[in-house]
Amino acid sequence: MSSAILTRPTSRWALPRFMTAEHPFPWLAPITVMLLVFGIYPLAYSVWLSFHKRNVVSRQLDFAGLHQWTRAFSDARMWHSLETTLIYTFVALAVQLALGILIALLLDTDRKGYGVLRALMTLPLVVPPAVTGMMFLLMQDGSFGVLSFYLYALDLISPAQPILTQPGTALAAILLADIWQWTPFMVLIILAGLRALPKEPFEAAAIDGANGIQTFLRLTLPMLRKVIAVAVLIRGVDLFRIYDYVYIITAGGPGTATETLSFYAGRIYFTGDFPYAATLSLIVLVVLIVVSNLFVRLFKVRF
Amino acid sequence: MESSRAQTIARDVLAVLVVAIFMFPIAWWALSSIKPYSAIFDRSGPVYTGFTPTPDNYRVTLLGVSRVDIGMEQGGEAAGVIKGGASSYDSRQSLLDSAIIAVGSTALTLLLATLAAYCLSRMQFSGQQSFLFWILSQRFMPPIAIVIPVVFMFRDLGLRDTYTGLILVHSLINLPLAVLLLKSFFDDVPREVDEAALIDGATRWQTFRRVVLPMVKGGIAATAVLCFIFSWTEFLLSLFLTTSIRTVPVKISTFVTSTATEWGYITALGTSAIIPSFIFILLVQRHLVRGLTLGSLKE
Repeated sequence: MSSAILTRPTSRWALPRFMTAEHPFPWLAPITVMLLVFGIYPLAYSVWLSFHKRNVVSRQLDFAGLHQWTRAFSDARMWHSLETTLIYTFVALAVQLALGILIALLLDTDRKGYGVLRALMTLPLVVPPAVTGMMFLLMQDGSFGVLSFYLYALDLISPAQPILTQPGTALAAILLADIWQWTPFMVLIILAGLRALPKEPFEAAAIDGANGIQTFLRLTLPMLRKVIAVAVLIRGVDLFRIYDYVYIITAGGPGTATETLSFYAGRIYFTGDFPYAATLSLIVLVVLIVVSNLFVRLFKVRF
Repeated sequence: MESSRAQTIARDVLAVLVVAIFMFPIAWWALSSIKPYSAIFDRSGPVYTGFTPTPDNYRVTLLGVSRVDIGMEQGGEAAGVIKGGASSYDSRQSLLDSAIIAVGSTALTLLLATLAAYCLSRMQFSGQQSFLFWILSQRFMPPIAIVIPVVFMFRDLGLRDTYTGLILVHSLINLPLAVLLLKSFFDDVPREVDEAALIDGATRWQTFRRVVLPMVKGGIAATAVLCFIFSWTEFLLSLFLTTSIRTVPVKISTFVTSTATEWGYITALGTSAIIPSFIFILLVQRHLVRGLTLGSLKE
């Protein structure tokens, strides 16, 4: 900074330059310490754990090389939970994005009353995810749930096979909670994107006689590319590490049908096998880092 | 684009319908919280009206009235309703715990993030982009990967099951959002403002504290609200790191016991927990999109 050339009355004793407010150091030191101590150290500890094994007799951790990692890669339950996580992530992303775009287009008008509707749409975002899980548990209960009642009435689901007891519908039940809570996230971001679009290309398209669908596919969607990329990235990361809804709504059941990778890691943690739980949680982390980095590069997302 | 009157009406109806569908779970939830026990568990069909609203669920969870006393008030017929374990449904301590942790972590986050964001917005140094990316990458850490080692770390440091411990962890999770969001607000203030103040003889710290900081008050408020809401709603970390301190989301999950799911108390406490968040979120509507996208999209 050019300000360094200004001479100021020096204080009684002079600090080294990196300790003064002119230098980034004092501004960034506190956050760096915080992130190192509570972000990097635990991560390193996790990696250390993943190369160890619990000794049941001595209750100590013994070095075990790649034992936990080979165990994970040959663990059918791990692969199943990874598959469930991927299905969950992609289905939720696709539905939330599609619904998000449609609802954003629907609400994107300056007419009276729509401001209230847009504000109401933000409410699901701040419901604690654990409460959202409970909401959908209450509505999807097999015997007195309001949603179950209508699904039975419409003959879509048989009362003999309640939603949460069948593998397929149980996953759908969790997805429904996620879609309810996070579609508004997509709606809001896409609405902001729509509002920021320039007017001229749309006027030109209207003069050229383009219909609504053509305008949307050829103009609106390409211009929203950046906005959609940011939304998909943030949402995708959150979806892949899903834990809360699974814990509350199905607890991974029936059996292990709706067990996601994070949830499986948590379940192993509660059995006391910390090295393996750490290994599984590191797999979540590695997949996230690799995929999100690729995504950032591919779609040139900037923060 | 001109549209006919019929189209306009169709759009209005559809828009209201869509929003109503999204509001239904919240409405059903709030409705359940004032239902008597029998109306919640009615198997013949959903009960929308036709029950006598009761404040009993709120009295138990928010006022700490014993459920046995309420059973006594209603006479013998309700006595059969009282079942389930000995877990306490009085949630006042949980609301206090959650509030202390949310306020504490918001304050700590803002303190650390404001300094870093100002620096990242105003100073140039080598490795700046890498530093930013490092902070952003913290946002992508899965909570499960953080929490397992932190459990051991906190056990050694004596931070398990303490306010300090949860405040630190919630701040850690909130820092990336806060830094990136505040940086975007600082970026909105022209650099000329700083330069003018520096030329007038203010120190860098005075420029920050007296000149620039007051100009981003709105942004700081929005960031604070988002940090508060995150901490208030967070579940996994609180579940793993505490045993006697129970934040509200964790407390609610304990109302599901092996013998009974206490829907009345769950919905009453749940409704009480979401009302503050609703008020806060409506206050920061203007900056919400920027917040949700970590400052990368501005409205």
